[in-house]
Amino acid sequence: MAETLRLALFAMLMAGGLIFEISAVFGANRFRFSLNRMHPAGMGDTLGLLLMALAMIVYTGFDWIALKILAAVAVYWITSPVCTHLVGKLVRETEEEQLKTEAKEWKS
Amino acid sequence: MPANKKKHDAFARLADWLENGAQPLDEEIGESLADEAYEEENAAEKTIPSVEVKKQTPKKKKRQERHRRKRRDALTVGAYADAWWYRVTAFIVCVSLVGLLLYGVVRMPLFGNADTLADSEVASFYVTHTLEETGAVNIVTGIILDYRGFDTLGESHVLFVAVSSVLLLLSIRGEKDEQERLLESDREQRTEPDHDLVLQGGARLLLPLVLIFGIYIILNGHLSPGGGFSGGAVLGAGLILYQNAFGYDRIGKFFTYRTFRAVSVSALLFYALAKGYHFLTGANHIPGGIPEGTAGAILSGGLLLPLNIAVGCVVTCTMYALYTMFRRGAF
Repeated sequence: MAETLRLALFAMLMAGGLIFEISAVFGANRFRFSLNRMHPAGMGDTLGLLLMALAMIVYTGFDWIALKILAAVAVYWITSPVCTHLVGKLVRETEEEQLKTEAKEWKS
Repeated sequence: MPANKKKHDAFARLADWLENGAQPLDEEIGESLADEAYEEENAAEKTIPSVEVKKQTPKKKKRQERHRRKRRDALTVGAYADAWWYRVTAFIVCVSLVGLLLYGVVRMPLFGNADTLADSEVASFYVTHTLEETGAVNIVTGIILDYRGFDTLGESHVLFVAVSSVLLLLSIRGEKDEQERLLESDREQRTEPDHDLVLQGGARLLLPLVLIFGIYIILNGHLSPGGGFSGGAVLGAGLILYQNAFGYDRIGKFFTYRTFRAVSVSALLFYALAKGYHFLTGANHIPGGIPEGTAGAILSGGLLLPLNIAVGCVVTCTMYALYTMFRRGAF
């Protein structure tokens, strides 16, 4: 019974992570403007990754490898926002025209 | 007026047309359409009433396309790209290279054939003998740094040669004038992430971890997966992160062109000398005097640990040097 519950939890976490990752892939390729594309990319890097890592931990049990996986998630959670911030800053500095037209489209 | 100049002078051609009628000019325009003088053709179209130039858009598009292709070829692959002998030679070279490759592939032993040396003996020999002969728990490190030590030496030199050629091609010599320097610093300030608070915070958190992890990979290379190449890549990435977060002034305090030169050259020299000594004594059955240590301890494996450190130094310097050369052409 406990085994079945564990597998069910693993399947739920994995499915949730896959949903986030797949929607991140679609979003990052579907949108045209870089700031819009950054949002789904960051989503896959944070919540999708965390859910999948938790799924792996549930599947294998909590041991040293689980700690390593959590450390990898922590590194991602530090680096991904920094990267997003830098890309956003660069877009603001270099693509002012594009930003203005996007803002107009959003207002209308 | 010489013919060539006349061809490029719309007013002269207009005068010619007024004098002689449309017939000769028609031929001339046909010629100019045939060669790459597309701009002249446009000029002719503007100045001359459209009696003789039939405006057929698909044809014009085709010509435009061909003209653009010719220009691009002349810019990228060289002006000879359109000559027939160039194409014939390129075709012959390509076909003969493909033929050589196919010839070599056909003569290779079949995949999974148990009789070939590589499948029957070498692999099992490595698996059974590596720990005992080299003292490396990680068989991959034992192979690349001991059995195939000269191969790894060549790889390190390939990295060094790559940096040297990049230095030759990209290094900026001589003084820039004031305007250029201003332009460059303006561009750097706007687009490069120097002195970005968020990046600096992230780097403060991550850099110690990254550097320690890289050193761990290098030092533990003969015991667990890793070694000089992967650890050097991690360390180089750490250096690049440091530069991005804190700028060239800060990194210049401990890593300059002189450091790069000293570290990579001495690491390569040390590798070559140590490996040469090792092979010389080993081939002549002279005791080398390098203690093997107990397998599994950090100080074991004879030369593997120092060689890993040397390779790690070279890879670190190469990573950072390539990055900084491509970014601003200097250290």
